[in-house]
Amino acid sequence: MKAAAFDYVKADSVAQVIELLQQHGDDARVLAGGQTLLATLNMRLSEPALLIDINGLAALRGIERQGEVLRIGALVTHAEIERSELVARHAPLLAQAAPHIAHRAIRNRGTWGGSLAYADPAAEWPACLLALGGTVVVQGPGGVRRIAADDFFLGLYTTALAPDEIVIAGEVPVAREGQWQGMTQLARRHGDYAVVGLAATAQRRGAALASVRLAFMGVAATPWRARRTEELLEGREPDDATLAMAAASLRAEIEPLPDLTHSSETKRHLAGVLLQRLLACARRDSKG
Amino acid sequence: MADTRTIQVTVNGRPHRCQVEPRTHLVDFLRDELGLKGSHLGCEHGVCGACTVELDGRIVRGCLTLAVQADGAQVQTIEGVSESGVIRDLQQAFVAHNALQCGFCTPGMLMAAKELVETRPEATRAEVREWISGNYCRCTGYHAIVDAVCDVLHQRKEARS
Amino acid sequence: MELNGDVLVVAPRDQVWNALNDTAVLARCIPGCEEMEALGETERRARVAVKVGPVRARFTGHVRLLDVRPGEGCTLQFEGSGGAAGMARGQSTLQLSEDPEGTRVSYTAQATVGGKLGQVGGRLIDAAAMQMADQFFQALRREFQPPAAEPAAPAPAVDAAPAAPEAAALPAPGPAAAAVPAALAAPSTTPASEGVRVLWFAMGVLSTAIGVWLGATLFG
Repeated sequence: MKAAAFDYVKADSVAQVIELLQQHGDDARVLAGGQTLLATLNMRLSEPALLIDINGLAALRGIERQGEVLRIGALVTHAEIERSELVARHAPLLAQAAPHIAHRAIRNRGTWGGSLAYADPAAEWPACLLALGGTVVVQGPGGVRRIAADDFFLGLYTTALAPDEIVIAGEVPVAREGQWQGMTQLARRHGDYAVVGLAATAQRRGAALASVRLAFMGVAATPWRARRTEELLEGREPDDATLAMAAASLRAEIEPLPDLTHSSETKRHLAGVLLQRLLACARRDSKG
Repeated sequence: MADTRTIQVTVNGRPHRCQVEPRTHLVDFLRDELGLKGSHLGCEHGVCGACTVELDGRIVRGCLTLAVQADGAQVQTIEGVSESGVIRDLQQAFVAHNALQCGFCTPGMLMAAKELVETRPEATRAEVREWISGNYCRCTGYHAIVDAVCDVLHQRKEARS
Repeated sequence: MELNGDVLVVAPRDQVWNALNDTAVLARCIPGCEEMEALGETERRARVAVKVGPVRARFTGHVRLLDVRPGEGCTLQFEGSGGAAGMARGQSTLQLSEDPEGTRVSYTAQATVGGKLGQVGGRLIDAAAMQMADQFFQALRREFQPPAAEPAAPAPAVDAAPAAPEAAALPAPGPAAAAVPAALAAPSTTPASEGVRVLWFAMGVLSTAIGVWLGATLFG
């Protein structure tokens, strides 16, 4: 199907974007990669009056290490993250996750900022940002503000982004010495949204793990941290006994939302399986 | 008269200057305005891969890109990459392995395969399967397509050594 | 799609019943409700504007009321259409019961989804249904707050951002009740049957709407 007619502006400054958003409200939509927005428009599930194309905003591009933080501009594509040496070195979790996002043709256009702003609960970037303890950088009429990942994802497709703000970058802490990062997901077809997925980070203390963060995809209305299970894992070695205990804790803690093809029980089971598989990779002698 | 914009876009090496409505997809522009019917329409929401074209050297979904976004860009369609001969070995392998029947998915498959063999010369069979899972085929059952792509990877590797 | 929930409203049962009987209250509480029309004794039609993620859809829903037990509950059948986006049909039930702290409102809904929504999948139907139900009940609870807390303007288009993060934290089986001050606004009274119809109409409309707008994110 074809999209309904709309007006189109290619913005040349963030200030112009903000002004247009204030002027048009919900009748205007921001166009970055467009891989979700244009599909929505093609299906006539939305008919905005105006598209504000932000692809000309050079300030939103680029991947840069700034001290202990890796700053990834909102317009950086999934494919750019996939092949970035800086990301591979400083945020290997993102490099691991990138190939799971849809397919190459989508990855060549879809953006980091778009994915974070959209906040699909089964998407990779929101869960990865949560696992890394990253920050979303947004700009609005009041200027620039930083929102911690833990505070950004509020509900289904609902973030702390105000209607007249846009995401300009996402920042993740640079991987420290001895830090482990990993992700895994189950999908029916490679590239599909995860049925269940897990992005995790931890600090190694000898054979044990500390500061564990477990961010699940596809189990709730937002990316979801299993905080009780994280606490349980604190200071423990990820041996078989610990993994079994963690899986039991997770199954008790999680309340997965079912969907048309997977029941709550199935998702609960799958989450436990993924947890055990992924944590096994965190063993000191593991190559995973 | 609908609201149109002027775009300047180079398609298969030829510059064009055209009027397009903002709502027009790149693939519809290529097919309807320029008569390049090789790129096909399937799902029109990015999932089937039949509309895959190259924009500034990288494959994109023609249905998820607006023609106005191609202003100032270089586009290659199946016609272009076929004429230039850069996918000759892929086309021959597809024929040899019977990797097409109705041919509807084939242009998209070839565009996707082209980017694979160029950027992942060491791809394994499993990686090929993952890569082309973004292109649907209703006829062949996929194995022949994977065989053809693996064949070309092997050929190109031999050619390099 | 199956949805069920259990909500505590800090108010006596008859007050909750009367509030749910009040068409004005319901029009305020149903997220995005733009229009509500009586088609007969047991039939209603409403138009609701929905915003979930990138989707903006207007759908019309019809609801038929059955098995009315005044003050206690009833069943309703609903169907809704979002035009090209798809359609949904189903059934829901409502039960009001006494609770030491006020009134327990229990609801269930089952819906089948068709059209584009059915085609693209049902990945998030339950999640969006829950969000809509949460918004409805949050609005309903606000009706029982002191007059200083003004309810929202009539029939605003629902914003996908809920007022409180609690909505996101609520698990599927039943949202925990917010502690609402006991002071109650005195709602206007309308015949019980009218009210319960409207309530169930609202629930049906909610459930149908959910399926319709969910489609947007179901690809992939």
